[in-house]
Amino acid sequence: MVTLSSLIVMVLVVSAVLGFISASAMFLIWWERKVSAHIQTRFGPMRVGWHGVLQPIADAIKLLCKEDIVPVGVDKWVWWLAPFFVTVPAVMAFVAIPFGKNLIVQDLNLGILYIIAITSTGIFGIFMAGWGSNNKYSLLGGMRSAAQIISYEIPLLISIITVLLFSGSLSMQKIVTAQAKYWFILNPSLFVAFFVYIISATAEVNRAPFDLPEAESELVAGFHTEYSGMKFAMFFIAEYTNMFTISAIAATLFLGGWRGPLLPGPVWFLIKTYTIIFVLMWVRWTFPRVRVDQLMGFAWKVLTPISLVNLIIAGWFILK
Amino acid sequence: MKNYFKRLIFGPIDLIKGLIVTFRNLITPAITLQYPTQKQAMTQRYRGLIDLYPVKCIMCSQCVKICPTNCLALTHKEGPDKKKELESFKYKMELCCFCGLCAQVCPTAALYMNKIYEIATSNRKELEINLLNPDKYAEWAHPTVR
Repeated sequence: MVTLSSLIVMVLVVSAVLGFISASAMFLIWWERKVSAHIQTRFGPMRVGWHGVLQPIADAIKLLCKEDIVPVGVDKWVWWLAPFFVTVPAVMAFVAIPFGKNLIVQDLNLGILYIIAITSTGIFGIFMAGWGSNNKYSLLGGMRSAAQIISYEIPLLISIITVLLFSGSLSMQKIVTAQAKYWFILNPSLFVAFFVYIISATAEVNRAPFDLPEAESELVAGFHTEYSGMKFAMFFIAEYTNMFTISAIAATLFLGGWRGPLLPGPVWFLIKTYTIIFVLMWVRWTFPRVRVDQLMGFAWKVLTPISLVNLIIAGWFILK
Repeated sequence: MKNYFKRLIFGPIDLIKGLIVTFRNLITPAITLQYPTQKQAMTQRYRGLIDLYPVKCIMCSQCVKICPTNCLALTHKEGPDKKKELESFKYKMELCCFCGLCAQVCPTAALYMNKIYEIATSNRKELEINLLNPDKYAEWAHPTVR
């Protein structure tokens, strides 16, 4: 039975989460442009507001005002629903992310499993966009994305299992509590797991150097070639939200989550998360894109064996 | 198999080298000039608009003769002390190809090329310049900052 007060709380929480997501996505878009510019010794956006901070708002207004073009021959239902199928799982993952000691929407007892399960469904949206667009580039992008996510899910999950061996719980808050003595990244076995996680998570969210589904030089814009205006903006927001989610998981699982001296919990959490996001941006603007065969080879021949060996060693240490 | 482990161990070293290069770039100041507010100084021999020292001119008309596009035209008259005096010196900037031959051929270096490069106008008439007017480039030398 849903009472009025609980309904109000629910609405408030949902608006807070959505507000945070859009603000974070806008900040990340600006930050990414700034980081990329400074890596290439440029300035990036400078004109709209102080050092271009209002640039994402100008971009958002432009996207809102754009004509919503529906290409001839698209599979209407699939094409229309695809952006929602991408964005909704990205937002839903925020339910189990612990921002602070009590700052979590719902501390599910299998939180990490929930997040991994829900973010993996985002691939449906990408594949729907690729299939529904009736365009060979989009279709190739969608297919690549599916192949990539299936391959990289395995090392990702194995590296998370390594963490779970040490934490003994799937709940995100309990994983943070388990790091009261030391951050998990300081453990040699989990140090390896951290790198395996970061690499496979980068591939999961289709970011460079694993951005094959939207490889500009080969596929125009990949699965979102035919999208414009607000639908494109939804793909964009989903991409940056997913990036925040994987960084938040990395911060929670390996860097002690919201734990830290002096500063309050949420501040520590955001510092850690944005540091990882910065590393992802740094990597994106440094490395060239890998080939498809290199991508698959790297997942199956390098990451999966490393994570399996790592899991066995970690298990042996725990049992000893 | 030996190659596999070799690449696994030494591969990341190259990746880290790349990351160091980009991080060094990240902390070096940007080399971009913010154009309307910051401007690059032109090179020493930059060929901008044609300019004239009227006092130095001896009215030999060599510049008019050598100009491949016929963009220069000068007339002279007899002054009060029976000396030649410049009457008009017209410069059609729309025809000028900025070859610099006029400045090169000028025996007294009265004609020279200045360093103004923001030479767009909104009116065709503004492209016909009277070189005897001392304020002819006043507006172009300090274009409005938008």
